[in-house]
Order: sequence, then C-alpha cells, then structure tokens
Amino acid sequence: METSALPQINTLDDLIGELYKVFDGDEVNVDYVNYLMSSYKSNPLDWKKFAKFDRYRYTRNLIDEGNGKFNLMLLCWGASHTSTIHDHADAHCFMKLLAGSLQEVRFEWPAEEGNRTDRSEEDQDRLMVEIGRGEMKVNDVCYINDSLGLHRVENPSHSENAVSLHLYCPPFSSCSIFDERTGKRSKCPVTFWSKFGERVDLKKPKSCCD
Amino acid sequence: MLDTDSLVVHLRNSIREQHLQQKCESLRTSRRKGGDRGGEGGGGRGGRDEEGPESEDSTDSIHDTVTKKLLLQHNMLLSLPFEITRFSSLVSLDLSNNNLTHVNDFLLQLPDLQALYLQNNNLADDGLPKELHTLTKLRELNLSGNKLTRVLPQLCEVVGLRYLYLGGNEITEILPEIKALQSLQVLHLGGNLLETVPDELGELHQLAALILCDNRLRSLPRVISNLTRLRSLLLHKNNLCCLPVCIVKLRGLAELSLRDNPLVTRFVNSCAREIMYNTPSLLELAARVIKLKKLPYTSEDLPRNLVHYLSSGQRCVNPKCKGMYFTSCVEHIKFVDFCGMYRLPLMHYLCSSRCSSKTPDYYRALSESDSEEDEPAARMKRVLLG
Repeated sequence: METSALPQINTLDDLIGELYKVFDGDEVNVDYVNYLMSSYKSNPLDWKKFAKFDRYRYTRNLIDEGNGKFNLMLLCWGASHTSTIHDHADAHCFMKLLAGSLQEVRFEWPAEEGNRTDRSEEDQDRLMVEIGRGEMKVNDVCYINDSLGLHRVENPSHSENAVSLHLYCPPFSSCSIFDERTGKRSKCPVTFWSKFGERVDLKKPKSCCD
Repeated sequence: MLDTDSLVVHLRNSIREQHLQQKCESLRTSRRKGGDRGGEGGGGRGGRDEEGPESEDSTDSIHDTVTKKLLLQHNMLLSLPFEITRFSSLVSLDLSNNNLTHVNDFLLQLPDLQALYLQNNNLADDGLPKELHTLTKLRELNLSGNKLTRVLPQLCEVVGLRYLYLGGNEITEILPEIKALQSLQVLHLGGNLLETVPDELGELHQLAALILCDNRLRSLPRVISNLTRLRSLLLHKNNLCCLPVCIVKLRGLAELSLRDNPLVTRFVNSCAREIMYNTPSLLELAARVIKLKKLPYTSEDLPRNLVHYLSSGQRCVNPKCKGMYFTSCVEHIKFVDFCGMYRLPLMHYLCSSRCSSKTPDYYRALSESDSEEDEPAARMKRVLLG
C-alpha cells in the first residue's frame, strides 16, 4: 500500500466503497480486508433495512453484489437459530457480529468417504472432530476458508436475536454440508431471503449454510 | 434510556400531540365539508374533542386511538405506567430488555393487542396478569429471558396464541393444559430445565416449530409423531439416548438437531439385547400363532379379555418378518437414515432377539402383497438401510 493514511470507515456505505477498491485487483489482502471489517462499528441505522427475520431459521439478506467479485450480506438469527456444519466452496469468508451474540465451532474435514460400503452401526468412529470454538462479541470479526476447516455458527441466546455481516470472495451459490455424527457430506444450494432490502419470492428457500 | 417516570412524561406529551393533530385534521375537514366529521382513525372518545387540549383535566381522559405500535425496548422501566392504557388501539407493544418485575393488570385494557414482547426482563411466575385470556386478539407473546419456572396456567388460556416464546427461563414443567393452544405454530422452550414433556404436546396439531434445545430431556413421547406440520425440531443439548421410532413419520421435517445428546454407542446397543428380553409366556406364543396363521375368531368364541389381548398385538418392525409380539419383545436400537441427511438411533421392538433382516423369525414370502396392515412395515423398509 502507498503511504497515505488508512481510510476512515464510519458507515456501512464507507465500508462497501473501500471493499470495491480492494477487490478491484486480483489479489486479496486478507489482513487489510480484516482491518476494514473491524474498523466499521456496527450502527443499526445503516443496516436495519436489510434485517429481515424468519421464525424458523436464520436468513441471508444480500446487501451488495460487489461487481461479481464479492458478496456482502446480512444474516439474521432468531433465538437458538443454528447453521449446519459447512465449507466455503474455496472462497474467503469474513464474518462480523453486528448485534447480539454468536458462537462459532470449527471442525476438521472428515476422512474421505471412499470405502464406506459397509454402513454398520458403529458410527461413533466417524464423529467429526472439533478443533476450536469461540464466542463473538459485537464488532468482532472472524475469518475462515476451506484450508482452515469447516464451521458451524449458532445464536447461543434463547432470548435475543443476532445479526452478522458476511463477506465472501468470490461469491458462491452452493457449498457442502456435513453431518456431525458421521461426517457424511451433501451438496447444498445457497439462497437469499432478501436482496438489497427486498424480500425474494422463492418457493422453498432450502439453504443450510452461511 | 427511560425510567418509568420519564416515560410517563413522554407518553403524556405524545398523547397530547396526537390529540392536537387529530383536532387540526378534523377542523380542516369540517371546514371543507361544512361541519361534516371526516378523517381517519376516529377522534378519541365521545365528545372529548370539543374540549381544549390545554386543560390538565382533559389530558387525563383523552386517548390516542391512532398509534398501533409502541416501541419501549432497551429502557430502564421497572413497571408499566398507567398512561399505556390511553393508547387504546395498540396492536403491538415492545417492552423487551427492561427491568420489569411485574406486568400490571391494566395491560388487559388494551383490547386490540396482538403482539406483546417482554423478553429479557425480571418477570417471575407471579409477575403476569392472571386474566391474560381477556386479550382475545393476542397472537404473539415473547417471555424469553425471564425468571419463569413453569408454563403458567394463564398462558394456556390464551387460546388464539400462535407464537409463544419462553426460552431462557427456569421452566421445569409444561402443564397438560397446553393442549388448549390449538392455534400454536411456534413453541420455543429452549434453555430451560425440562426433563420430560407431556403427551399433550402431541395435540398441538398446528405446530411447525418445536424448540426444546438446551434442556434435560431424557426421552420424547411417541405422540410427537402426531405433529404432522412440524418443520423444525430442535433437540440439541439434552440427555436423549434415542428417539421413538415413529419420528420417521414426520415427513415435513426440514430441520432436526440432535447434537450434544448422549446418543447410543455400540456398547450400549449390544447390551440392550441381553437385558431387555423377557421370555414369552404360553399365552403370548399362542396369540402369536393365531395372528400369524390368521386363524379366524369372533368375540363370541373367546372371553373378552382374550379378544382384547389379541387386538393389542404389535407388528415386528423388521420388514422381512411378519411376526407379531404382545408383551414380549426386544428393545433394539437401530441406526436409521432420515431424509438423506441424518442417521438417527431409533428404539425398535423386534419380536425376538434372533430376528434380523437376514434371518427373520417369521419369514414373509416375497409374493405376499402389502396389505393395509403392512403399511408401517413398508414405510420402515423405505427408510432402513441395507
């Protein structure tokens, strides 16, 4: 980077503006993007219009399509809502907590499914291995990609909603989800509850990951 | 951040402003229409609008009949001000994240209230009005994050309730009276102290989401399979070893969480076979033969207690076995694939410990067609693996 001062990120629009600049090139400076995400301090006035909740599961609300280079979205978690264990389809994933609380649990990739013709009852051997967990506070940022493992995100509160900001580069429309007890992998499409503040009309939004 | 006294001042000002606005509006309209009373939302009670808004007396009796939603969350309220009742058309009241220890009975004077948000306060079992059912339009009630120890009886009387949130309390029991909530679609009881749930839960036929995570449940009643509209069943972080086999009937289930339960291990499975089997009696063996060979009998042939006994027979769950059992069976835990995403340990009852898919006790010929009686077995066949 040049010796000019680091940009001031006061609003969500400021953040988006800087992200466009960062993703203009081909290389992604993970540390710098982390810095940008951290500098933005959550202000509900910025993101309220994207915050649409569902009673049954968490929602994904697209904020910006980043000229195809990245997707920025708001995830809204009702009390006790959880994601499945999923990967990130070879993309970078930055996640920032804007309201409430979230817990992230990381897992190792399960062994390859190769020779599993004998599906006996001894599933204990294939339990997925947890490699770490953390509680996020408002304005915390965390980063993950496939080389670091898989994760599940959940709202640990039974009485409070949570809102998080997610940045994916490049954008992806499907990923894999995993059964914690067996490591069994399935493909899962990823859909939006709303785009740019407008509710999307889908027949059945069956997306399972963030 | 408001305390109750500051809130009172704000509410009074708000009501007065609203009243003034309505007065101006109706004056304008009456000028246009030559004395005809127009405008929306009504103009308060009876002849109140003729009185001047400046006098203190009139302020106490005017109502705001326009405001539908009152957002008072994240303040420091210890109690509700009586001024709340002046908002007589209120549909939604958000009092979450305050310090309320009780909700006064005068809340019941809001007849149009449909949604009441009280999460994250300090409400104990005696903190809610007893006659909650007078709020006949109440559809959503959020009492999460309080100090309740039971699903209060007055909650079970609000029969129009659709969404009931009780997460993060200290609830140890669900009253059977809950079956009165026939319109309930979402029941959130996560993060409580429940060890069992009553069979009456199975009568909440509209239930689409049942959240029981983070409790101390040891088992689930079989009647859970009656909840045909269930889309989401959250059971993670409990003490469940296995699930009732009829859970596979819940075809609409899109979300089932089971992690952090001591679900059955291989060791327990092989133990179960030894411990659970009680040798069949002569009565049982005779009954089995009668059923197997489909020997005809009528209520005139046999004493009533035997007829009753014969009708209590259960099909062996092994789809390749057409055996039946009465009181003597083996509890067997088998892992079953569910919806292509989950492998569940389910409690099965086999007719004997030797019965397996390779060597069924009572072999069913492939040519025998599936009668209506065989439906449950046929369904298990679709679901069981290998």
